[in-house]
Amino acid sequence: MTAAITVGLTGITKRYRGTTALDAVDLSFRPGITGLLGPNGAGKTTLLRIIATVLAPDAGEVRLLGRNPATPDDLADVRRRLGYQPQDMGFPRAFTGFGFVDYMAVLKEWTARAPRHDEVRRVLDLVDLGEVATKRVRALSGGQRRRVALAQAMLGDPELMLLDEPTTGVDPEQRVSLRQVLSRAGERSTVLLSTHQTEDVAALCDRVVVLDQGRVRFDGAVIDLVATAAGRVWLADAPDPAACASWRTGTGKHRNVGEAAPPGAEPTEPTLEDAYLLLLGDRALTTEVAA
Amino acid sequence: MTTLVERTEAPTRSTTLRTLAGVEARRYARHPLFLVGAALMVLVTVSNSNNLAKGTGDAQVLAVGDGTTVPAFFLGVLGVFVGYRLTRSMARSSEAVEASPADGVIRTGALCLACLVPGAVALGWTACMSLVMALKAVPVSAAISSADRGAMIAASVVYAVGGPLFGVLVGRWTRFPGAGLVAAVVLVAWTFLGTFGLLMPASRLGTLIHLNAPFTSWVSSDGPNAPLWLAGGSPWWYLTYIAALCGLAATAAMFHEAVGTRRSRLSRVLAALAVLAVASLLLAAAPDPTRLTL
Repeated sequence: MTAAITVGLTGITKRYRGTTALDAVDLSFRPGITGLLGPNGAGKTTLLRIIATVLAPDAGEVRLLGRNPATPDDLADVRRRLGYQPQDMGFPRAFTGFGFVDYMAVLKEWTARAPRHDEVRRVLDLVDLGEVATKRVRALSGGQRRRVALAQAMLGDPELMLLDEPTTGVDPEQRVSLRQVLSRAGERSTVLLSTHQTEDVAALCDRVVVLDQGRVRFDGAVIDLVATAAGRVWLADAPDPAACASWRTGTGKHRNVGEAAPPGAEPTEPTLEDAYLLLLGDRALTTEVAA
Repeated sequence: MTTLVERTEAPTRSTTLRTLAGVEARRYARHPLFLVGAALMVLVTVSNSNNLAKGTGDAQVLAVGDGTTVPAFFLGVLGVFVGYRLTRSMARSSEAVEASPADGVIRTGALCLACLVPGAVALGWTACMSLVMALKAVPVSAAISSADRGAMIAASVVYAVGGPLFGVLVGRWTRFPGAGLVAAVVLVAWTFLGTFGLLMPASRLGTLIHLNAPFTSWVSSDGPNAPLWLAGGSPWWYLTYIAALCGLAATAAMFHEAVGTRRSRLSRVLAALAVLAVASLLLAAAPDPTRLTL
């Protein structure tokens, strides 16, 4: 049986001073993890902010968890059931990790002290911050701060989790640990993961949405996107000037992503990154490879 | 592996407001500027304790009925910064905060309730001073009724709450760095301008100018040998006026965050409080404006 739609977006449009951030986007999501990919300015963050109810669209209809967030009663109910980790989250200076997440728990209506503190400890343990919970946030590393931000989004095990680049700045070991946490969350909740890290999407998501210039360029299974690059990725001794993207790998061979095989090249298995580069062409190259 | 914590309570707006107000009150009570202000207030009071014993200086002023300068400055003016900084402190996390079910009106309301912390300290200070005066048997002026004296002393508590509320208001409506400092300067300048009313010959206009200031003093004493005198006007209506100003600050701060029907409800409250403030100021200046030399 197919799970119910938890997020329904119809004709969502958002403009900023003449720039169209989202252009009549139609999307729907069910429980599971969906990756949002796209170059900078593609509209990923705007999309998440609209679903997080902190930004109203200029046009279109939003349905979240069976509710219409445009009405005050539904809005409060939706906010009770969602967790949101913004992209650039700052922290008040005086707070410890525990204090900040505790404050956010109060805002999420955890009013009874003992269960609230238990819940705060639970989410901090989930992101491996239990040991440093009493440290001031400003004394934590960038990766640890990202995890504090993620912890507050996981309070109460929300039905809808919106994560804007949750693994940026997190070391590889922690990233694997976070993937485990997120994959468990995706078993029950709808998790939307905006990221520049294609390997995170490949590792975690069963569905991927690629946005570009405010429009949906691809919406489907990760394996389907990867399949679009089959027969278009090559290993060669030299870079191919005609390739969409080309770089020297650790083996000394050049990985060429393009339509035609360069002379003497051997075909190789494509990755999600290859497919993404092929889908967006030069626009992806300006941001994604650099990222 | 961690176990999901079950929520036992059903969330309501009022319990969230209460809990959040408690959290904000603790943040207020731990704020370095508040602690510095409270410590300086105690220090100044202790250093003036000789006057209490002699029944001169502060004690004499209190005995007349107006011991408001110390809490007004150390809790009220410094409180502008505290209220402002607490309000702005969550700006860095604004997106995550805005996505929570506790909306802006609740969050601002909790900050306004936290401003009762300096009010409680001012109340404690006033009670202590009154107790010390009673124990030292400092003579109390008979030229002013105990009811009016009570209103004058009660104003110190309102000053201590009003400054921080003004800081919350500025924090909600402005975004530029240094707005808290500007707000404190505006408050002091407004108070200073009020003293011009005392330079004018005793009249209702002079009393009005004197009493429109958010922090005012009823008693003037330039030194131990100078006669004490009392400004004209009604202390009780003045107390109503500054309480209305506090209500205006809190409501205007919440109004910034309100939407829909709540916004229209708050706009009606704002209008009512504005009318009350103007009416009580006029009534405060209406009685005999003659200054009374004690």
